[in-house]
Amino acid sequence: MSLASVGGALIEETNLGKDDREEILSRFVKPNKDILILSILGERPMCGYDLIKEIYRRYNVLLSQGAVYPILYSMEAEGILRAEYSRGNMKTKFYTLTPKGKEVMKRKIGNMVYALEYLLSFLKGSCSG
Amino acid sequence: MSIEGLDRVLEADPPAGSVLLVTGGEGTLKSSLVLAMMSRYLESSAEHGLYASLEQTRDSHLKNMESIGIRWHENLHIFDYRDMRVEWKDHNLDMFSMTKDVLDTYIDRYRDLTLFAMDSLNALYALSPKANHRRNVYDFLTALRDRGLTSILILETGDEVGKGGERFLSDGIIELGVIESYDGVKRYLQIRKMRGARHQMEKHHLVVKPGGLEVLGPIYGPATTSCG
Repeated sequence: MSLASVGGALIEETNLGKDDREEILSRFVKPNKDILILSILGERPMCGYDLIKEIYRRYNVLLSQGAVYPILYSMEAEGILRAEYSRGNMKTKFYTLTPKGKEVMKRKIGNMVYALEYLLSFLKGSCSG
Repeated sequence: MSIEGLDRVLEADPPAGSVLLVTGGEGTLKSSLVLAMMSRYLESSAEHGLYASLEQTRDSHLKNMESIGIRWHENLHIFDYRDMRVEWKDHNLDMFSMTKDVLDTYIDRYRDLTLFAMDSLNALYALSPKANHRRNVYDFLTALRDRGLTSILILETGDEVGKGGERFLSDGIIELGVIESYDGVKRYLQIRKMRGARHQMEKHHLVVKPGGLEVLGPIYGPATTSCG
């Protein structure tokens, strides 16, 4: 059973409303924004503005600009991201993963999935009774 | 937190968690002084510092530092708002709240972040809602203190000075300026107030030398000491 299906089943069973689901997602998205940013930039280059909109579109969580741009700059300084201006637009920087960034992304996603599955293996047992 | 010769004026570092103002007109080396103080402090510690710049870009600060011989330390993070302001130009961003978010994001990333600087308060005021201005300033300074940061806020002297009550709310004020005298134009540094640290009261000569900035002796007469 996948993480999503277990989560979905629990949400159905506990009759969580839309606001509750958004609150749960928000509590998950905010502390894990580094991984989500890496994962989205692994799909295609984006600027900070597009990234914030994309996170909102996917997770319904609006991150503050002050929570996203510092991460982009820090990751660029650490060699995880590369920032480039696109042709004809010298105002907006687009970020892509570097080879080191791809490694970091894989490792972080792997760690997160492992931790979630480990936790869930206990939680599933608690709910089945 | 020092530059060469500052110990002539200030006998010890301000207590950790202090909020300091660096004031002065244009061309008085406010940004350079703050960047030099932060870089030098970080050279001898494993801590991190954040310099938030609303007016100049990070590259521009780095070039200025290099041009006057100030060594940038890699633990000094210079955050400029350029990209944010360009990409979100059609939105009314609350810069007080945004700056707190920026700060928290850096603290989350670099747990041993202990120093913060804002360049400048004037720009922060200009880009923030005018309503509840004093309240916003008070809340902002409280937020800095709550996070235990030693903070340096740059305030260019001019129209907005004192409107936010920052002079009363801060723990220390370092004033920079320019004096024209019989032997030329001199930059000076004067500690107007420093809670918790003994300091000289006189205007001291501030010079740019090949290795960065240096504070020399008093411009007028012998030095006298004041308790903080």
